[in-house]
Formats: sequence, structure tokens, C-alpha cells
Amino acid sequence: MIHFTSVSKFYDTDIVLKDISLTINKGELAFVTGPSGVGKTTLLKLIYCAERPDEGEIVVAGWDLKKIKQSAIPFLRRNVGIVFQDFRLLANKTVSENVALALRIHDMHPHEIKEHVSEVLKEVKLKHKESTYPYHLSGGEQQRVVIARAMVSKPAVLLADEPTGNLDTETSETIMNLFKEINARGTTVLIATHNDALFHGTGRRVIYLKEAQIEREVVG
Amino acid sequence: MRILIYAAATALKSLWHEKWINLLAVLSISIGLLIISAFLTISQNLDSVLKRWSKDFGLIVYLNEGLNRETEDILRDFFQHDSDLASVKYISKDQALQDLRKIMGKQSLALEVFENNPLPASFELTLKRELLNPVLVERKAAEIRHLTGVEDVQYGEKWLSSLSTLANTMKVSAIFLGSAIFIAIAFITYSTIKIFFYRRKDEIETLKLLGATRTFIRLPFLLEGLLIGLLASIVSSLGLFGIYSLIMNKISEFLPSINIIMTPLPIKTYFPAILAGTFMSFIGSIIAVGKIRY
Repeated sequence: MIHFTSVSKFYDTDIVLKDISLTINKGELAFVTGPSGVGKTTLLKLIYCAERPDEGEIVVAGWDLKKIKQSAIPFLRRNVGIVFQDFRLLANKTVSENVALALRIHDMHPHEIKEHVSEVLKEVKLKHKESTYPYHLSGGEQQRVVIARAMVSKPAVLLADEPTGNLDTETSETIMNLFKEINARGTTVLIATHNDALFHGTGRRVIYLKEAQIEREVVG
Repeated sequence: MRILIYAAATALKSLWHEKWINLLAVLSISIGLLIISAFLTISQNLDSVLKRWSKDFGLIVYLNEGLNRETEDILRDFFQHDSDLASVKYISKDQALQDLRKIMGKQSLALEVFENNPLPASFELTLKRELLNPVLVERKAAEIRHLTGVEDVQYGEKWLSSLSTLANTMKVSAIFLGSAIFIAIAFITYSTIKIFFYRRKDEIETLKLLGATRTFIRLPFLLEGLLIGLLASIVSSLGLFGIYSLIMNKISEFLPSINIIMTPLPIKTYFPAILAGTFMSFIGSIIAVGKIRY
């Protein structure tokens, strides 16, 4: 589903990622970890085309990101759900409106949008808060809305950048369980985190980054 | 279609949410449009005055004293076949004297001192409207002056020249002023939409990450710019209608001559300003949104 071949990324003269080659298979749930500033976020950004590689090739869900045109990027991103550490929820929209936005972009019929949003909010256990604005929600609830927004359009790949960065252990566990459920339905999930507890004992692949390179791959 | 409905709803929400900035933009643009409309209206009234005046505008061709009938007929025939002339009227010496007596009324007794009729026979020529240009009229008068049997040619040179200069000045001023105002309208909308665009930068970033196309992101801003222009155009048209009606109804009470200059404004007068205001606002918003890069 995700293929990196000898990918390098520079910011001016600084090397952020160097000669990265990795494959995330369809339906896999994997983790990318390492200390802050090691390039975890850049690696995810390369997958959803917020950054372009300086060297090497990337293929995501059949899209060759080296050749992809600017006008095609939105259509790639519709196949890639993204969960951010800082949530990126729209403050002037309610929970259901925030989630519905992802489907409006897909030009879905309003009746279908309503059904899908209602369904996904039940899954993340936030149906009762559908008319609430994000600033009235706790950090954990906001992150669940972000996950609902990312999964409502049923993307092939789900990326999560430090999804539990601002959350307590119990909430982090809830969030992690949601990722497992999403993955169980066939979605490929890649989580970037520096929180060891998140992948310990999961039995999933963990990719360690060190000094802009893949140091090792282990099973968590 | 659904995207258009969503964009229209978002634009209307933003229009209400940012009502004070939008109101300022609408009023600024409508003042600009009102100035253009006022210019167009004055031009139109001037044109109407010229049109009405042109019906009576003519050249008076005075004939030589004692001109024989044959030469008069040649001249009449010549004028009747001249494609520049709308009408030809012959006034004999006797007719001219009769007319003068009518005008002078009781004072016409003064004319008895003359043994013979002192007035010359003449032709009154009406020019076609498209020839009502000082240069062309002067050329025509000079042409006629050289004809055999013609003593002199007279016409309202000064009036024609002044009105024509005024009409031309108005047209040139309207082009310059109009261009400047149209650029200003585009700039006002550009600034307004740019502010909204920056304010919603985070939202736009999120939309881009969710897979929104450029059209999806840009459309609400473009529609908002269009609505600002449309509202401003309507406000300016209402303003023009109000001011014009006030002048026509109230001022004419103590200045009746205003009705000679001003004619009622037809509805089509408002269309150019409405279209131009809306279009320029739309252009301003297109520039403001600019290119969206992923």
C-alpha cells in the first residue's frame, strides 16, 4: 500500500530523511517511532504529499508521488485519512459538521452524509455530542472527532501523527483501540509516535528512525 | 451542483458573520458606482438635450438680393438632393417680412420706414443628427457659402461648439474616472476577500488535507466577492434612483427649468453599473484567492 524506495528529504542543507526504503502492506497496522526531530512527521507528510521527496520514489495506494500533478493531490488525499496531534478541527462548526466536511468534499448527497456521520459518531461514542462545538470537548473527545472525520470517508490508508501526544494514558488506550478497530476493517494504519506504551505488546511492526535513517524494525 | 449550494451557503454565512467589514466594502463600492452612474446620467441628459436641440438646429442660407427664380430652383434642387440634409424649407422675402412682423407685433410699424422689403429670401436647412459636429457643420456651411446666389450662411456656431465640447469632455472624463473607480472596486473586494482568506487560513489548510479541490476551497470566496459587488450595485442603483427622484420631484417645484434638462431614467440605465460593479468585484476576489498550492 505504501512503498518508499531510497527516499531522501532535505530542508536546505539539513538531511531530514536519508535513503529510506520501506513497505507498509495493505491492511497492516505499523508504527514509526524515534526521538523528536528524527523525521517521523516528514515521513507522514511525504505520504500525503505535503512534502515532496528530493530523492527516491514513493507509491501510495497506486499513486506515484514523484509524477503526481498538483490537481491530482486532493484525490490522493481522499484515500488517505489523517489524524493530527493538534486536531485541526474547525472551531465554528459542530462535531457533526466537522465530520460531515470530509464527505461534502466528496460531493456526497446530504442524506447519505447524515447517515454516515451518525454511524461513525456512534462508533467513536460521540453521538450525544454531535451538536457540540469542539471547544466544549475534552482533548480525548476532540481526538475521537478527528478520527471519526478521518475514517468517515473510508480511506485506504489512515495516518496518525502523535495521536496521543496530549492525552492521558486511559484516553490514549481508547484512541489506540479505535485504530485497531479501523485496521480490523481492512484499512492500512501508520502511526507516528514517540510514546513506547502505545505499541508495546501490540505484536505490530515498529520502525525505529535514528539520525534520519531507519535504524531497525521490530515487533512491538 | 451540491458544491455550488454548499459554497453559496458558506458565502452567505460569512457575509453575515463578517457583516461590518462587508458593509464597509459594500458602501465603499456603492459610492464609487454612484459616481459613475451620476456621470452616465449627466451624459445621458446632455445627449437628450443635444438630441432635442438637433431637431431645430439648422443652417440659414441667405440668398443674394434680386436672385432670379431659375437660380433659386437650382439651389432648391441641390439642397433637396443633398444626403446630409434632413429637411429643406424655402422662405421668400415676403414670408420673411411677414414672420418678422409677427415677432415684432405692435413694434412692426417701425418696418414701414423701409420703402422696399429689406429682408433677403432664404433656405432653412436642417442637418442630419450624425452631422452635428462643429467641424462637419463648419465644413458644410463653407461648402454652401461658395454656391452661386448665396449671400451668407448662419448657424449657432458657439452653442454647437460648447455643447459638443462639454459632451466630449464628459465622455473622456467618464472613461478615466470609470476606469479608476473600477480598479478601486476590484481593489476593495480584493482587500476584503484577502482578509477573510487569511482569517480562514487554518480552515483552508484543513480542507486541503481532507482532499478538497481548488474549486471547493475557492468558490465560497468568489461567491462572497460577487455578492459584495451585487449588493453594492443594488445600493448604488437605489441611491441613484432616490437622488434623481428627489431632484425631479422636489427641486423642480422651485426650479421648473430642471425638467427641460432632465428626463426620467429608464430602468436600463441601472444595468451597466450593476453588471460592472458585480464583475469588477468578482475579478477582485479571483485575484485575492489566487493560486492554491498543495
